[in-house]
Amino acid sequence: MDLGFVIVSAVTLACIYGTLAIGISITWSSLGLINMAYGLTFATAGYGAWLVGDQLQAIDAISDTTWIVGPIVILAGILTGAACGVVICAVTFIPIHDKPNFTVRGLIASLAVSLIGTQVLLQVFGPRAKSLPPLFGDWELPIGNVVITADKGGAMISSIVLLALALRWMKSSRRGLEIRAMMMNPHAASLVGIGVRRTGFYVMALTGALAGLASVLLSQTYYISPFSGLTPLIKGLSVALLGGLGSVNGAIVAAVILGTNEALTSALLGGQYALITQFLLIIIVLLFRPRGIAGILDKAREA
Amino acid sequence: MSEIWKNPLAPWRGDAEPQEAPSEAYSDPGEVWRAKRQSHTKLYKVGRLRYYHKWRGHGAKTWTRTRYWPTRRRVLDIRGEYNPKILRREKTIVDKRPIWWLLSFIAIAVAPFLAPKDLQSTLISAGTVFLIYAAINLCWTLILGTAGIFSLATMAVVGAAAYGAASMSVFYGWPWWTLPFVGGGIGFVFGVVIALPATRLDGFYYALLTLGLNELCRVYVVQSRTFGSATGGVYGADSFIPTGASQRVELIIGYFASFALMLSALALFRFVNGKRLGRILRMAPEKREAFAQAVGIDYRTARIQVFIISSVGLGVIGGFYASYFHGASPSLFSFDSVLLGLAMLVIGGLGKAEGAVLGTFIVIVIDKVFLQLGPIRLILVGAIMLGVVLLLKNGLFGIKHQFRDWRDKKKSENRSTRAEKGGEMLPEEATEAGDKDLIYAQRFDKMQRDYLKGVVSEKLVEEHARNPLGQHSEPLERLLLYFRRQPQVDKYAIAVIEPFKAYRIVALSGHRGVAPRVVEEKTYPSEREAYHGVFLRRVQDLLES
Repeated sequence: MDLGFVIVSAVTLACIYGTLAIGISITWSSLGLINMAYGLTFATAGYGAWLVGDQLQAIDAISDTTWIVGPIVILAGILTGAACGVVICAVTFIPIHDKPNFTVRGLIASLAVSLIGTQVLLQVFGPRAKSLPPLFGDWELPIGNVVITADKGGAMISSIVLLALALRWMKSSRRGLEIRAMMMNPHAASLVGIGVRRTGFYVMALTGALAGLASVLLSQTYYISPFSGLTPLIKGLSVALLGGLGSVNGAIVAAVILGTNEALTSALLGGQYALITQFLLIIIVLLFRPRGIAGILDKAREA
Repeated sequence: MSEIWKNPLAPWRGDAEPQEAPSEAYSDPGEVWRAKRQSHTKLYKVGRLRYYHKWRGHGAKTWTRTRYWPTRRRVLDIRGEYNPKILRREKTIVDKRPIWWLLSFIAIAVAPFLAPKDLQSTLISAGTVFLIYAAINLCWTLILGTAGIFSLATMAVVGAAAYGAASMSVFYGWPWWTLPFVGGGIGFVFGVVIALPATRLDGFYYALLTLGLNELCRVYVVQSRTFGSATGGVYGADSFIPTGASQRVELIIGYFASFALMLSALALFRFVNGKRLGRILRMAPEKREAFAQAVGIDYRTARIQVFIISSVGLGVIGGFYASYFHGASPSLFSFDSVLLGLAMLVIGGLGKAEGAVLGTFIVIVIDKVFLQLGPIRLILVGAIMLGVVLLLKNGLFGIKHQFRDWRDKKKSENRSTRAEKGGEMLPEEATEAGDKDLIYAQRFDKMQRDYLKGVVSEKLVEEHARNPLGQHSEPLERLLLYFRRQPQVDKYAIAVIEPFKAYRIVALSGHRGVAPRVVEEKTYPSEREAYHGVFLRRVQDLLES
């Protein structure tokens, strides 16, 4: 087995799953909502990107110029993801966020939304998988004996760049400050005049956009189908769990650890054992640190 | 009221008194009473009171309560009481749930024979699936509700047990009656393994972890060659259904076997939730564990025990599943089946046996009976689930409680908006008052003053000026009686300054030894005018109150 290839693909996957995990983490820590409809956002964003890509392919003038098609398709995926996140927020967060037992009800409501949305996607687009046009052109970058292909390199670079932009926005802007305040202490945030519902929409749009980005990037390797969101959801959740729900840095560390684990397991034991070793790893870490790598017991959000 | 005054003394004094006399028109004192009695808040007749049917009690013979072995419990929770209004004993069935359970058992037992001929096979197999899933959900309810462990790995346990049992039967030829035991063993092992992290992890970390475990099982089974990645599952297990039987007999045997399975799951629920373990855990709800621990309750062990017991139950169901379906398929582990199971629990209401069964029934009816709807079925299930979660606190069986809470809230809101005060006591004053008779006395006084204010008129004052003493018309007489009945404190009286020449109005102090105070300087030349002056003052005070 080519170790270089495995490492490259693992790092790519780690970038993408890290993006998802950060979205899940932010949603949980600021809204107290475990967004199980994240997989639905993922699949919907893929379809949005596919629709736009399909339209662009029909236009002869630009159908071959990757540097025009690629960014437009990525943007379409991100926007669809954000829109989907806003819809999910309006359905599952706004009506019940101040009701008793919100955490369980929010979880179940987002599961219900996911069930409905997936079936609607199945009805509208049919069960056949769709694939996106190549977004990053056709080039190869040999580093030593490792070859980084266009889709992987592009995915890595664009996820890191866009994620860094999103985190920068959260650090520097007024809205980002509101979101971070909500993450630290939602009650105090609402006391000092930060609107819970409005911030909810911002958070869900941001995390939806992250899911959309991940979706477009992952669709370079896998296909878009109504049920394609499940595996990324599970992976994102595992990374977020391992990193500690609510911590961005923890999620990044966890993504790297799980990516390495996956690469090593695939190389040494075989691909079908990847999930098993991954869960063993998570269970072991959680047994020692019940709130993940970064989550410290007292500082994590109380459900 | 009429303008004719009827003399109440006429029957006793014969012709000496007039039978009747003309009187002023005046309003009925009953009107104030009726207006007062009318509630200002809108009344909803349905559901304001908890309605219990009262059964006739026993007469002379002693009331024997049936208790069933081996407990000392009664079949029905019946309260006996004596009704002093009808002078009889009455019985009230406080908890009617056993009756509903019994009726639904009868319905389930009779249902396969009443199904229409053309749909019989669909309906009976849907019924079998309903009963198996009801059993699974009852065990799951134990984990989610009683133990309070938010585990989503239920279908993983069932599926693992089904796979294990099916492969024992397929590869080693074990007979069908061993399969539930094999399943139970696998369930035990799985339960212990899954329960380990539950001791450390918080609710949601655990939920996500178990969801991942479920996915892990699915991926493993789909990829594994021994478990039929090519054939789509392990098939060919031995079944309790005899091979030579007709299709109808097969279906009915399967149906009643599943019914027995559901009944035993109910018994398990009853024995775990209703007995020591369940009571311990009811002491230690989420976020109040510290209190339970402080009073010496080992809630962790109890939770793990319940979890492992339910896992064994789930394993047995898995073995039964393998035996009934002749094998197991990866669809057991699919995300959709976890979702549908959760939908069943949520629709009925978490933590209640009746909720688990009703939710299962609703979802299975939509999913397996309305097949012609196609993929809309799942959307429908999702929509019901979403509606239930958004609108209800705890599923369909929580509606009653939620409605009562809401009604009590509205009641207390209405009570607190009432702020009128006219000699009456406000609710918070009334609770403080030592002598509760005062509340009623003041309320009656207020009503009487309300009435008398309406009675006062020019004509009445004229009548009094004409003749302060003696027989008056009824309204004037009511007015004067009220004035006379007032307490001594500040009651008006007439002081004679010079007999037959000068009179003055004073107010009594009401206390021995304290002289009356002079109210006004004006003197009245005659007793009659002084009487009328007192009357006018009292009327003025009444109208001002």
